[in-house]
Amino acid sequence: MQITPLSPALGAEIAALDLQEDLTDAVAEEIRAALREYRLLVFRDQNLSPEEHIAFGRRFGRIKCPPVPTRHGGPPELNVLDQKNPRGEGADNWHADNTYTTTPPMASILQAIRLPELGGDTAFACMQAAYRALSPAMRGLCEQLTAIHDVTRSITRAIQRGHSGDDLEKVRKRLPPVEHPVVVGHPDTGLPALFVNVNSTTHIRGMSETESRALLAFLFEHVKQPEFQLRIRWQPGTVIFFDNRCTQHYAVADYDQRRIVHRVALEGERPRRNRPEPTSPGETRSHLLEDSRHV
Amino acid sequence: MPGFEVTPLSPTLGAEVMGLDLREAIAPEDLADLEAALLEHLVLFFRAQPLSPDQLLARARQFGEVEAHAFGPRNPQCPEVGVLDQSSPQHDGANRWHCDSTFMPRPPRAVMLRAESLPALGGDTCWASMYAAYEALNPALRATLETLSATHDVTGPLRRAVEAGHSVGDLETVRAEWPLLSHPVICRHPETQRPLLYVNSNFSVCIDELEEAESEALLTLLFEWVRNPDFQLRFRWEEDCVALWDNRCTQHFAVADYRERRVMHRVAIADPLAPQAVN
Repeated sequence: MQITPLSPALGAEIAALDLQEDLTDAVAEEIRAALREYRLLVFRDQNLSPEEHIAFGRRFGRIKCPPVPTRHGGPPELNVLDQKNPRGEGADNWHADNTYTTTPPMASILQAIRLPELGGDTAFACMQAAYRALSPAMRGLCEQLTAIHDVTRSITRAIQRGHSGDDLEKVRKRLPPVEHPVVVGHPDTGLPALFVNVNSTTHIRGMSETESRALLAFLFEHVKQPEFQLRIRWQPGTVIFFDNRCTQHYAVADYDQRRIVHRVALEGERPRRNRPEPTSPGETRSHLLEDSRHV
Repeated sequence: MPGFEVTPLSPTLGAEVMGLDLREAIAPEDLADLEAALLEHLVLFFRAQPLSPDQLLARARQFGEVEAHAFGPRNPQCPEVGVLDQSSPQHDGANRWHCDSTFMPRPPRAVMLRAESLPALGGDTCWASMYAAYEALNPALRATLETLSATHDVTGPLRRAVEAGHSVGDLETVRAEWPLLSHPVICRHPETQRPLLYVNSNFSVCIDELEEAESEALLTLLFEWVRNPDFQLRFRWEEDCVALWDNRCTQHFAVADYRERRVMHRVAIADPLAPQAVN
Protein backbone atom coordinates (compact mmCIF):
# COMPACT_ATOMS: atom_id res chain seq x y z
CA MET A 1 0.00 0.00 0.00
CA GLN A 2 1.45 3.32 -1.08
CA ILE A 3 0.49 6.32 1.06
CA THR A 4 1.03 9.93 -0.06
CA PRO A 5 0.10 12.69 2.37
CA LEU A 6 -1.95 15.48 0.76
CA SER A 7 -1.65 18.38 3.19
CA PRO A 8 -0.23 19.07 6.64
CA ALA A 9 -3.72 19.26 8.18
CA LEU A 10 -5.25 16.04 6.91
CA GLY A 11 -5.58 13.62 4.05
CA ALA A 12 -3.54 11.03 2.22
CA GLU A 13 -3.93 9.29 -1.09
CA ILE A 14 -3.63 5.51 -1.17
CA ALA A 15 -2.41 4.05 -4.44
CA ALA A 16 -2.23 0.53 -5.77
CA LEU A 17 -5.23 -0.89 -3.98
CA ASP A 18 -8.34 -2.32 -5.61
CA LEU A 19 -11.22 -2.01 -3.17
CA GLN A 20 -13.34 -4.41 -5.23
CA GLU A 21 -11.17 -7.27 -4.08
CA ASP A 22 -11.55 -8.92 -0.70
CA LEU A 23 -9.22 -7.08 1.63
CA THR A 24 -6.96 -9.19 3.78
CA ASP A 25 -7.09 -8.47 7.51
CA ALA A 26 -3.60 -7.01 7.26
CA VAL A 27 -4.63 -4.54 4.54
CA ALA A 28 -7.79 -3.57 6.41
CA GLU A 29 -5.66 -2.89 9.46
CA GLU A 30 -3.30 -0.73 7.40
CA ILE A 31 -6.25 1.26 6.13
CA ARG A 32 -7.52 1.70 9.69
CA ALA A 33 -4.10 2.89 10.81
CA ALA A 34 -3.82 5.29 7.88
CA LEU A 35 -7.27 6.70 8.66
CA ARG A 36 -6.23 7.26 12.28
CA GLU A 37 -3.12 9.05 11.13
CA TYR A 38 -4.49 11.11 8.22
CA ARG A 39 -8.22 11.25 9.06
CA LEU A 40 -9.11 11.16 5.38
CA LEU A 41 -8.09 8.70 2.69
CA VAL A 42 -8.48 9.05 -1.07
CA PHE A 43 -8.58 5.98 -3.33
CA ARG A 44 -8.62 6.77 -7.05
CA ASP A 45 -10.03 4.72 -9.93
CA GLN A 46 -12.31 2.43 -7.97
CA ASN A 47 -15.58 1.32 -9.44
CA LEU A 48 -17.54 -0.13 -6.59
CA SER A 49 -21.08 -1.30 -7.16
CA PRO A 50 -23.44 -0.31 -4.33
CA GLU A 51 -23.06 -3.83 -2.93
CA GLU A 52 -19.26 -3.68 -3.08
CA HIS A 53 -19.31 -0.21 -1.56
CA ILE A 54 -21.40 -1.48 1.37
CA ALA A 55 -19.22 -4.59 1.71
CA PHE A 56 -16.11 -2.39 1.86
CA GLY A 57 -17.77 -0.34 4.61
CA ARG A 58 -18.64 -3.48 6.60
CA ARG A 59 -14.94 -4.32 6.87
CA PHE A 60 -14.57 -1.26 9.09
CA GLY A 61 -17.71 -1.23 11.17
CA ARG A 62 -21.44 -1.55 11.35
CA ILE A 63 -23.26 0.35 8.58
CA LYS A 64 -25.37 3.24 9.80
CA CYS A 65 -28.34 3.52 7.48
CA PRO A 66 -29.05 7.14 6.55
CA PRO A 67 -31.31 8.59 9.30
CA VAL A 68 -33.00 10.73 6.65
CA PRO A 69 -32.47 8.95 3.33
CA THR A 70 -32.71 10.89 0.09
CA ARG A 71 -35.42 9.87 -2.35
CA HIS A 72 -32.92 8.91 -5.05
CA GLY A 73 -33.05 5.17 -4.45
CA GLY A 74 -30.46 2.46 -3.78
CA PRO A 75 -30.27 -0.14 -1.00
CA PRO A 76 -31.14 1.17 2.52
CA GLU A 77 -27.48 1.22 3.60
CA LEU A 78 -26.57 3.56 0.72
CA ASN A 79 -27.37 7.24 0.55
CA VAL A 80 -27.53 8.54 -3.02
CA LEU A 81 -26.64 12.22 -3.31
CA ASP A 82 -27.93 13.35 -6.68
CA GLN A 83 -27.73 17.09 -7.31
CA LYS A 84 -27.93 19.53 -10.17
CA ASN A 85 -28.68 22.81 -8.39
CA PRO A 86 -26.52 22.42 -5.30
CA ARG A 87 -26.48 26.02 -4.16
CA GLY A 88 -28.25 26.37 -0.84
CA GLU A 89 -28.99 22.64 -0.51
CA GLY A 90 -27.01 22.37 2.71
CA ALA A 91 -23.98 20.32 1.69
CA ASP A 92 -22.54 23.71 0.72
CA ASN A 93 -22.09 24.55 4.38
CA TRP A 94 -19.22 23.32 6.53
CA HIS A 95 -20.61 20.33 8.42
CA ALA A 96 -20.04 16.86 9.81
CA ASP A 97 -22.58 14.23 8.80
CA ASN A 98 -25.70 13.55 10.89
CA THR A 99 -24.63 15.21 14.12
CA TYR A 100 -28.34 15.60 14.89
CA THR A 101 -28.34 11.92 15.89
CA THR A 102 -27.23 10.58 19.28
CA THR A 103 -24.54 8.49 17.61
CA PRO A 104 -23.29 10.31 14.51
CA PRO A 105 -21.33 8.18 12.02
CA MET A 106 -17.73 7.50 12.94
CA ALA A 107 -16.86 7.68 9.26
CA SER A 108 -18.38 8.18 5.86
CA ILE A 109 -17.25 6.51 2.67
CA LEU A 110 -18.07 8.42 -0.49
CA GLN A 111 -17.74 7.35 -4.09
CA ALA A 112 -18.19 9.68 -7.08
CA ILE A 113 -20.46 8.08 -9.64
CA ARG A 114 -21.15 10.92 -12.03
CA LEU A 115 -19.57 14.34 -12.11
CA PRO A 116 -19.96 17.67 -13.86
CA GLU A 117 -17.28 18.37 -16.43
CA LEU A 118 -15.74 20.89 -14.11
CA GLY A 119 -16.42 21.79 -10.48
CA GLY A 120 -18.10 19.91 -7.66
CA ASP A 121 -14.94 19.54 -5.55
CA THR A 122 -15.25 18.75 -1.86
CA ALA A 123 -13.26 20.65 0.75
CA PHE A 124 -12.44 18.96 4.07
CA ALA A 125 -11.27 20.50 7.34
CA CYS A 126 -9.53 18.91 10.29
CA MET A 127 -11.42 19.90 13.44
CA GLN A 128 -8.49 18.86 15.65
CA ALA A 129 -6.34 21.47 13.89
CA ALA A 130 -9.21 23.96 14.25
CA TYR A 131 -9.31 23.23 17.97
CA ARG A 132 -5.55 23.59 18.39
CA ALA A 133 -5.56 26.96 16.63
CA LEU A 134 -7.81 28.43 19.36
CA SER A 135 -6.20 30.33 22.21
CA PRO A 136 -5.85 28.33 25.43
CA ALA A 137 -8.55 30.47 27.08
CA MET A 138 -11.01 29.86 24.25
CA ARG A 139 -10.21 26.14 24.29
CA GLY A 140 -10.85 26.11 28.01
CA LEU A 141 -14.21 27.76 27.53
CA CYS A 142 -15.31 25.46 24.71
CA GLU A 143 -14.30 22.33 26.61
CA GLN A 144 -16.86 23.11 29.28
CA LEU A 145 -19.78 23.60 26.92
CA THR A 146 -22.50 21.41 25.45
CA ALA A 147 -24.41 22.22 22.28
CA ILE A 148 -27.81 21.26 20.93
CA HIS A 149 -27.95 19.65 17.46
CA ASP A 150 -31.23 19.62 15.57
CA VAL A 151 -32.27 17.99 12.28
CA THR A 152 -34.85 20.70 11.44
CA ARG A 153 -32.72 22.89 9.26
CA SER A 154 -31.33 20.06 7.11
CA ILE A 155 -34.58 18.20 6.66
CA THR A 156 -36.57 21.34 5.86
CA ARG A 157 -34.13 22.14 3.09
CA ALA A 158 -34.07 18.56 1.81
CA ILE A 159 -37.87 18.48 1.59
CA GLN A 160 -38.03 21.91 -0.06
CA ARG A 161 -35.44 20.98 -2.65
CA GLY A 162 -37.03 17.63 -3.48
CA HIS A 163 -34.29 15.41 -2.02
CA SER A 164 -36.48 13.98 0.73
CA GLY A 165 -39.99 12.59 0.52
CA ASP A 166 -40.29 12.59 4.32
CA ASP A 167 -42.76 14.53 6.39
CA LEU A 168 -41.11 17.32 8.38
CA GLU A 169 -43.03 16.73 11.60
CA LYS A 170 -42.55 12.96 11.50
CA VAL A 171 -38.80 13.34 11.05
CA ARG A 172 -38.61 15.87 13.87
CA LYS A 173 -40.50 13.53 16.13
CA ARG A 174 -38.32 10.58 15.20
CA LEU A 175 -35.13 12.61 15.61
CA PRO A 176 -35.57 14.99 18.53
CA PRO A 177 -32.74 17.47 19.27
CA VAL A 178 -29.65 15.92 20.87
CA GLU A 179 -26.78 17.27 22.94
CA HIS A 180 -23.08 16.83 22.19
CA PRO A 181 -20.01 18.34 23.86
CA VAL A 182 -18.61 21.32 21.94
CA VAL A 183 -15.17 19.69 22.14
CA VAL A 184 -15.08 15.93 21.77
CA GLY A 185 -12.23 13.52 22.42
CA HIS A 186 -11.39 11.07 19.67
CA PRO A 187 -12.27 7.54 20.83
CA ASP A 188 -9.03 6.09 19.36
CA THR A 189 -6.45 8.81 19.82
CA GLY A 190 -7.95 10.96 22.58
CA LEU A 191 -7.24 14.08 20.52
CA PRO A 192 -9.73 16.89 21.08
CA ALA A 193 -11.77 18.24 18.16
CA LEU A 194 -14.32 21.02 17.77
CA PHE A 195 -17.72 19.47 17.29
CA VAL A 196 -20.21 22.16 16.29
CA ASN A 197 -21.41 22.79 12.75
CA VAL A 198 -23.63 25.32 11.10
CA ASN A 199 -26.06 22.78 9.61
CA SER A 200 -27.14 21.16 12.85
CA THR A 201 -25.89 23.05 15.90
CA THR A 202 -28.55 25.48 17.04
CA HIS A 203 -27.39 26.75 20.41
CA ILE A 204 -25.20 26.21 23.42
CA ARG A 205 -26.90 24.83 26.49
CA GLY A 206 -27.15 27.18 29.43
CA MET A 207 -25.87 30.28 27.62
CA SER A 208 -27.95 33.34 26.91
CA GLU A 209 -29.01 33.69 23.30
CA THR A 210 -26.58 36.58 22.82
CA GLU A 211 -23.61 34.59 24.09
CA SER A 212 -24.56 31.43 22.27
CA ARG A 213 -25.14 33.20 18.96
CA ALA A 214 -21.87 35.11 19.08
CA LEU A 215 -19.79 32.13 20.13
CA LEU A 216 -21.29 29.79 17.54
CA ALA A 217 -20.92 32.43 14.82
CA PHE A 218 -17.24 32.64 15.71
CA LEU A 219 -16.78 28.88 15.71
CA PHE A 220 -18.63 28.41 12.41
CA GLU A 221 -16.37 31.07 10.88
CA HIS A 222 -13.24 29.60 12.44
CA VAL A 223 -13.60 26.41 10.36
CA LYS A 224 -13.12 28.39 7.17
CA GLN A 225 -9.38 28.85 7.65
CA PRO A 226 -7.53 27.21 4.75
CA GLU A 227 -4.77 26.02 7.14
CA PHE A 228 -7.15 23.35 8.46
CA GLN A 229 -8.25 22.31 5.00
CA LEU A 230 -7.75 20.18 1.97
CA ARG A 231 -9.69 20.39 -1.28
CA ILE A 232 -10.23 17.28 -3.39
CA ARG A 233 -11.02 17.24 -7.06
CA TRP A 234 -13.04 14.12 -7.80
CA GLN A 235 -12.86 11.76 -10.73
CA PRO A 236 -15.55 9.15 -11.39
CA GLY A 237 -14.60 6.18 -9.22
CA THR A 238 -12.77 8.23 -6.61
CA VAL A 239 -13.51 6.92 -3.11
CA ILE A 240 -13.02 9.12 -0.05
CA PHE A 241 -13.07 7.53 3.40
CA PHE A 242 -13.13 10.17 6.16
CA ASP A 243 -13.37 10.20 9.92
CA ASN A 244 -16.59 12.06 10.64
CA ARG A 245 -15.73 12.59 14.32
CA CYS A 246 -12.87 14.98 13.72
CA THR A 247 -13.45 16.49 10.27
CA GLN A 248 -15.99 18.66 8.53
CA HIS A 249 -16.61 18.99 4.83
CA TYR A 250 -18.09 21.36 2.28
CA ALA A 251 -19.45 20.27 -1.09
CA VAL A 252 -18.51 23.10 -3.43
CA ALA A 253 -21.67 24.33 -5.18
CA ASP A 254 -20.15 25.66 -8.38
CA TYR A 255 -21.76 23.42 -11.01
CA ASP A 256 -25.09 22.97 -12.73
CA GLN A 257 -24.64 19.61 -14.39
CA ARG A 258 -25.77 16.45 -12.62
CA ARG A 259 -23.47 15.15 -9.87
CA ILE A 260 -24.07 11.79 -8.19
CA VAL A 261 -22.14 10.66 -5.13
CA HIS A 262 -22.85 7.52 -3.10
CA ARG A 263 -22.35 7.51 0.64
CA VAL A 264 -22.05 4.67 3.10
CA ALA A 265 -21.74 5.64 6.76
CA LEU A 266 -20.32 3.63 9.65
CA GLU A 267 -22.05 3.62 13.01
CA GLY A 268 -20.25 5.68 15.65
CA GLU A 269 -20.38 5.86 19.42
CA ARG A 270 -21.90 8.65 21.41
CA PRO A 271 -19.45 11.61 21.25
CA ARG A 272 -17.68 12.12 24.56
CA ARG A 273 -16.15 15.19 26.08
CA ASN A 274 -12.39 15.27 25.79
CA ARG A 275 -10.53 15.03 29.04
CA PRO A 276 -9.26 18.60 29.28
CA GLU A 277 -5.53 18.67 29.71
CA PRO A 278 -4.03 21.41 31.79
CA THR A 279 -2.71 24.02 29.36
CA SER A 280 0.85 25.06 29.98
CA PRO A 281 1.46 28.80 30.12
CA GLY A 282 3.85 28.82 27.15
CA GLU A 283 1.34 27.20 24.86
CA THR A 284 0.41 29.33 21.90
CA ARG A 285 -1.17 29.08 18.52
CA SER A 286 1.99 27.77 16.93
CA HIS A 287 0.90 24.53 18.53
CA LEU A 288 -1.20 24.17 15.40
CA LEU A 289 1.83 23.27 13.36
CA GLU A 290 3.75 21.28 15.90
CA ASP A 291 1.44 18.36 15.93
CA SER A 292 -0.94 19.10 13.14
CA ARG A 293 -0.41 15.79 11.41
CA HIS A 294 -0.49 13.76 14.45
CA VAL A 295 -1.36 11.65 17.28
CA MET B 1 -4.05 28.68 -33.35
CA PRO B 2 -2.34 29.69 -30.11
CA GLY B 3 1.01 28.08 -29.41
CA PHE B 4 -0.27 26.65 -26.14
CA GLU B 5 -3.13 24.75 -24.55
CA VAL B 6 -5.40 26.04 -21.77
CA THR B 7 -7.06 23.57 -19.37
CA PRO B 8 -9.55 25.07 -16.90
CA LEU B 9 -9.21 23.91 -13.28
CA SER B 10 -12.62 24.95 -11.97
CA PRO B 11 -15.79 26.55 -13.32
CA THR B 12 -15.05 29.73 -11.41
CA LEU B 13 -11.40 30.49 -11.97
CA GLY B 14 -8.02 29.01 -12.74
CA ALA B 15 -6.49 27.31 -15.77
CA GLU B 16 -3.28 25.56 -16.56
CA VAL B 17 -1.32 26.68 -19.62
CA MET B 18 0.73 24.02 -21.37
CA GLY B 19 3.19 24.26 -24.21
CA LEU B 20 5.02 27.50 -23.41
CA ASP B 21 8.63 27.89 -22.37
CA LEU B 22 8.78 31.15 -20.46
CA ARG B 23 12.57 31.28 -20.65
CA GLU B 24 11.99 32.55 -24.17
CA ALA B 25 10.06 35.64 -25.22
CA ILE B 26 6.35 35.07 -25.72
CA ALA B 27 5.39 35.60 -29.39
CA PRO B 28 3.08 38.60 -29.94
CA GLU B 29 0.11 36.48 -31.04
CA ASP B 30 0.58 34.16 -28.04
CA LEU B 31 0.76 37.18 -25.76
CA ALA B 32 -2.62 38.40 -26.99
CA ASP B 33 -4.07 34.92 -26.46
CA LEU B 34 -2.60 34.76 -22.96
CA GLU B 35 -4.12 38.14 -22.09
CA ALA B 36 -7.48 36.79 -23.30
CA ALA B 37 -7.03 33.59 -21.29
CA LEU B 38 -6.20 35.65 -18.21
CA LEU B 39 -9.40 37.67 -18.60
CA GLU B 40 -11.37 34.46 -18.94
CA HIS B 41 -9.73 32.35 -16.21
CA LEU B 42 -8.39 35.07 -13.83
CA VAL B 43 -5.37 33.00 -12.82
CA LEU B 44 -3.08 30.99 -15.07
CA PHE B 45 -0.52 28.37 -14.06
CA PHE B 46 2.59 27.42 -16.02
CA ARG B 47 4.42 24.35 -14.72
CA ALA B 48 8.09 23.47 -15.09
CA GLN B 49 9.47 26.96 -15.73
CA PRO B 50 13.02 27.10 -14.38
CA LEU B 51 13.38 30.89 -14.71
CA SER B 52 16.09 33.13 -13.36
CA PRO B 53 14.80 36.34 -11.71
CA ASP B 54 15.82 38.17 -14.92
CA GLN B 55 13.82 35.84 -17.09
CA LEU B 56 10.78 36.15 -14.82
CA LEU B 57 11.09 39.90 -14.98
CA ALA B 58 11.47 39.88 -18.76
CA ARG B 59 8.28 37.80 -19.16
CA ALA B 60 6.34 40.03 -16.78
CA ARG B 61 7.49 43.08 -18.74
CA GLN B 62 5.79 41.67 -21.81
CA PHE B 63 2.48 42.27 -20.03
CA GLY B 64 3.23 45.86 -19.07
CA GLU B 65 5.33 48.08 -16.91
CA VAL B 66 6.50 46.37 -13.73
CA GLU B 67 6.81 47.90 -10.26
CA ALA B 68 8.67 46.92 -7.12
CA HIS B 69 6.57 46.16 -4.04
CA ALA B 70 6.06 49.17 -1.78
CA PHE B 71 7.79 47.56 1.21
CA GLY B 72 8.43 43.86 0.59
CA PRO B 73 11.96 42.38 0.33
CA ARG B 74 13.53 42.55 -3.10
CA ASN B 75 16.07 40.59 -5.05
CA PRO B 76 19.29 42.65 -4.69
CA GLN B 77 20.33 42.18 -8.35
CA CYS B 78 16.88 42.69 -9.67
CA PRO B 79 14.87 45.00 -7.36
CA GLU B 80 11.63 44.71 -9.33
CA VAL B 81 11.58 41.04 -8.35
CA GLY B 82 10.18 40.62 -4.85
CA VAL B 83 11.35 37.70 -2.75
CA LEU B 84 8.95 36.02 -0.35
CA ASP B 85 11.16 33.90 1.82
CA GLN B 86 9.23 32.42 4.73
CA SER B 87 9.55 29.62 7.17
CA SER B 88 7.16 30.79 9.89
CA PRO B 89 4.36 32.31 7.83
CA GLN B 90 1.64 32.28 10.49
CA HIS B 91 1.62 35.93 11.38
CA ASP B 92 3.08 37.38 8.20
CA GLY B 93 -0.27 38.52 6.86
CA ALA B 94 -0.42 36.65 3.55
CA ASN B 95 -2.68 34.07 5.20
CA ARG B 96 -5.63 36.40 4.98
CA TRP B 97 -7.81 36.93 1.93
CA HIS B 98 -6.49 39.94 0.06
CA CYS B 99 -5.66 41.59 -3.24
CA ASP B 100 -2.16 42.93 -3.50
CA SER B 101 -1.39 46.53 -2.62
CA THR B 102 -4.84 48.11 -2.68
CA PHE B 103 -3.40 50.87 -0.47
CA MET B 104 -2.04 52.28 -3.75
CA PRO B 105 -4.07 54.65 -5.94
CA ARG B 106 -3.41 52.24 -8.81
CA PRO B 107 -2.85 48.73 -7.42
CA PRO B 108 -1.09 46.22 -9.70
CA ARG B 109 -3.09 44.98 -12.65
CA ALA B 110 -1.56 41.52 -12.47
CA VAL B 111 1.03 39.63 -10.49
CA MET B 112 3.42 36.88 -11.53
CA LEU B 113 4.61 34.50 -8.83
CA ARG B 114 7.11 31.67 -9.22
CA ALA B 115 7.83 28.89 -6.75
CA GLU B 116 11.58 28.77 -6.22
CA SER B 117 11.71 26.44 -3.24
CA LEU B 118 8.86 24.70 -1.41
CA PRO B 119 8.18 22.77 1.79
CA ALA B 120 7.64 19.04 1.31
CA LEU B 121 3.98 19.45 2.16
CA GLY B 122 1.76 22.51 2.51
CA GLY B 123 2.17 26.10 1.38
CA ASP B 124 -0.70 26.00 -1.12
CA THR B 125 -2.23 29.22 -2.37
CA CYS B 126 -5.98 29.76 -2.71
CA TRP B 127 -7.53 32.25 -5.13
CA ALA B 128 -11.10 33.54 -5.19
CA SER B 129 -13.07 35.22 -7.96
CA MET B 130 -14.46 38.58 -6.91
CA TYR B 131 -16.86 38.45 -9.87
CA ALA B 132 -18.37 35.29 -8.39
CA ALA B 133 -18.39 36.84 -4.91
CA TYR B 134 -20.24 39.88 -6.24
CA GLU B 135 -22.72 37.89 -8.30
CA ALA B 136 -23.74 35.67 -5.38
CA LEU B 137 -24.64 38.64 -3.14
CA ASN B 138 -28.25 39.54 -2.53
CA PRO B 139 -29.42 42.10 -5.16
CA ALA B 140 -30.45 44.72 -2.58
CA LEU B 141 -27.07 44.47 -0.90
CA ARG B 142 -25.30 44.59 -4.25
CA ALA B 143 -27.18 47.74 -5.25
CA THR B 144 -26.29 49.45 -1.98
CA LEU B 145 -22.66 48.41 -2.09
CA GLU B 146 -22.37 49.85 -5.60
CA THR B 147 -22.94 53.31 -4.12
CA LEU B 148 -20.26 52.99 -1.43
CA SER B 149 -16.52 53.41 -1.14
CA ALA B 150 -14.02 52.00 1.34
CA THR B 151 -10.86 53.39 2.88
CA HIS B 152 -7.73 51.32 2.29
CA ASP B 153 -4.82 51.53 4.72
CA VAL B 154 -1.34 50.05 4.42
CA THR B 155 -0.79 50.02 8.20
CA GLY B 156 -1.97 46.54 9.26
CA PRO B 157 0.04 44.43 6.78
CA LEU B 158 2.94 46.87 6.94
CA ARG B 159 3.13 46.56 10.71
CA ARG B 160 3.14 42.77 10.44
CA ALA B 161 5.87 42.94 7.79
CA VAL B 162 7.99 45.29 9.91
CA GLU B 163 7.58 43.04 12.96
CA ALA B 164 8.50 39.94 10.98
CA GLY B 165 11.55 41.68 9.48
CA HIS B 166 10.02 41.51 6.00
CA SER B 167 9.79 45.23 5.29
CA VAL B 168 12.46 47.25 3.51
CA GLY B 169 11.27 50.48 5.16
CA ASP B 170 10.20 51.39 8.70
CA LEU B 171 6.57 51.88 9.64
CA GLU B 172 6.46 55.67 9.62
CA THR B 173 8.37 56.20 6.36
CA VAL B 174 6.26 53.73 4.41
CA ARG B 175 3.03 55.03 5.92
CA ALA B 176 3.93 58.58 4.99
CA GLU B 177 4.51 57.46 1.45
CA TRP B 178 1.09 55.80 1.20
CA PRO B 179 -1.59 57.94 2.83
CA LEU B 180 -5.12 56.59 3.32
CA LEU B 181 -7.22 56.50 0.17
CA SER B 182 -10.59 55.22 -0.99
CA HIS B 183 -11.68 52.79 -3.69
CA PRO B 184 -15.25 51.87 -4.68
CA VAL B 185 -16.61 48.83 -2.80
CA ILE B 186 -17.83 47.44 -6.11
CA CYS B 187 -15.62 48.09 -9.14
CA ARG B 188 -16.12 47.51 -12.81
CA HIS B 189 -13.34 45.60 -14.50
CA PRO B 190 -11.93 47.94 -17.15
CA GLU B 191 -11.60 45.19 -19.75
CA THR B 192 -14.43 42.73 -19.14
CA GLN B 193 -16.76 45.45 -17.79
CA ARG B 194 -17.98 42.95 -15.17
CA PRO B 195 -18.74 44.23 -11.65
CA LEU B 196 -16.65 42.79 -8.83
CA LEU B 197 -16.29 43.01 -5.06
CA TYR B 198 -13.33 45.21 -4.15
CA VAL B 199 -12.79 45.21 -0.40
CA ASN B 200 -10.25 42.94 1.27
CA SER B 201 -9.42 42.03 4.83
CA ASN B 202 -5.80 43.18 4.63
CA PHE B 203 -6.30 46.78 3.59
CA SER B 204 -9.97 47.85 3.66
CA VAL B 205 -10.57 49.44 7.06
CA CYS B 206 -13.95 51.15 6.83
CA ILE B 207 -16.79 52.00 4.51
CA ASP B 208 -16.74 55.74 4.11
CA GLU B 209 -20.46 56.53 3.93
CA LEU B 210 -21.49 54.45 6.96
CA GLU B 211 -21.55 54.87 10.72
CA GLU B 212 -18.75 52.95 12.42
CA ALA B 213 -20.96 50.10 13.69
CA GLU B 214 -22.61 49.73 10.27
CA SER B 215 -19.28 49.74 8.51
CA GLU B 216 -17.93 47.11 10.89
CA ALA B 217 -20.96 44.87 10.30
CA LEU B 218 -20.85 45.15 6.51
CA LEU B 219 -17.09 44.66 6.23
CA THR B 220 -17.32 41.62 8.50
CA LEU B 221 -20.03 40.24 6.25
CA LEU B 222 -17.98 40.87 3.10
CA PHE B 223 -14.73 39.46 4.48
CA GLU B 224 -16.59 36.33 5.55
CA TRP B 225 -18.32 36.19 2.18
CA VAL B 226 -15.02 35.81 0.36
CA ARG B 227 -14.23 32.70 2.44
CA ASN B 228 -16.92 30.70 0.62
CA PRO B 229 -15.29 27.76 -1.22
CA ASP B 230 -17.73 28.20 -4.12
CA PHE B 231 -15.72 31.19 -5.32
CA GLN B 232 -12.36 29.53 -4.79
CA LEU B 233 -9.59 27.44 -6.20
CA ARG B 234 -6.82 25.85 -4.15
CA PHE B 235 -3.53 25.30 -5.93
CA ARG B 236 -0.79 22.94 -4.84
CA TRP B 237 2.51 24.34 -6.05
CA GLU B 238 5.42 22.53 -7.61
CA GLU B 239 8.84 24.08 -7.75
CA ASP B 240 9.35 26.13 -10.93
CA CYS B 241 5.63 26.63 -11.32
CA VAL B 242 4.59 30.16 -12.31
CA ALA B 243 1.20 31.71 -11.52
CA LEU B 244 -0.10 34.81 -13.27
CA TRP B 245 -3.23 36.38 -11.84
CA ASP B 246 -5.45 39.34 -12.52
CA ASN B 247 -5.14 41.32 -9.29
CA ARG B 248 -8.19 43.45 -10.10
CA CYS B 249 -10.81 40.72 -9.87
CA THR B 250 -9.30 38.08 -7.59
CA GLN B 251 -8.15 37.74 -4.02
CA HIS B 252 -5.71 35.17 -2.75
CA PHE B 253 -4.65 33.49 0.48
CA ALA B 254 -1.23 31.94 1.15
CA VAL B 255 -1.90 28.93 3.37
CA ALA B 256 0.38 29.17 6.42
CA ASP B 257 0.60 25.49 7.27
CA TYR B 258 4.33 24.81 6.85
CA ARG B 259 7.54 25.32 8.75
CA GLU B 260 10.15 24.50 6.19
CA ARG B 261 11.49 27.28 4.01
CA ARG B 262 9.30 28.48 1.15
CA VAL B 263 10.78 30.92 -1.37
CA MET B 264 8.69 32.62 -4.03
CA HIS B 265 9.65 35.23 -6.62
CA ARG B 266 7.09 37.89 -7.38
CA VAL B 267 6.74 40.57 -10.01
CA ALA B 268 3.83 43.02 -10.09
CA ILE B 269 2.57 44.46 -13.36
CA ALA B 270 1.42 48.06 -12.99
CA ASP B 271 -2.06 49.21 -13.83
CA PRO B 272 -2.31 52.46 -15.77
CA LEU B 273 -5.89 52.82 -14.48
CA ALA B 274 -7.29 53.36 -11.00
CA PRO B 275 -10.17 51.07 -9.89
CA GLN B 276 -13.43 52.42 -11.31
CA ALA B 277 -16.91 52.43 -9.77
CA VAL B 278 -19.70 50.58 -11.52
CA ASN B 279 -21.67 53.69 -12.40
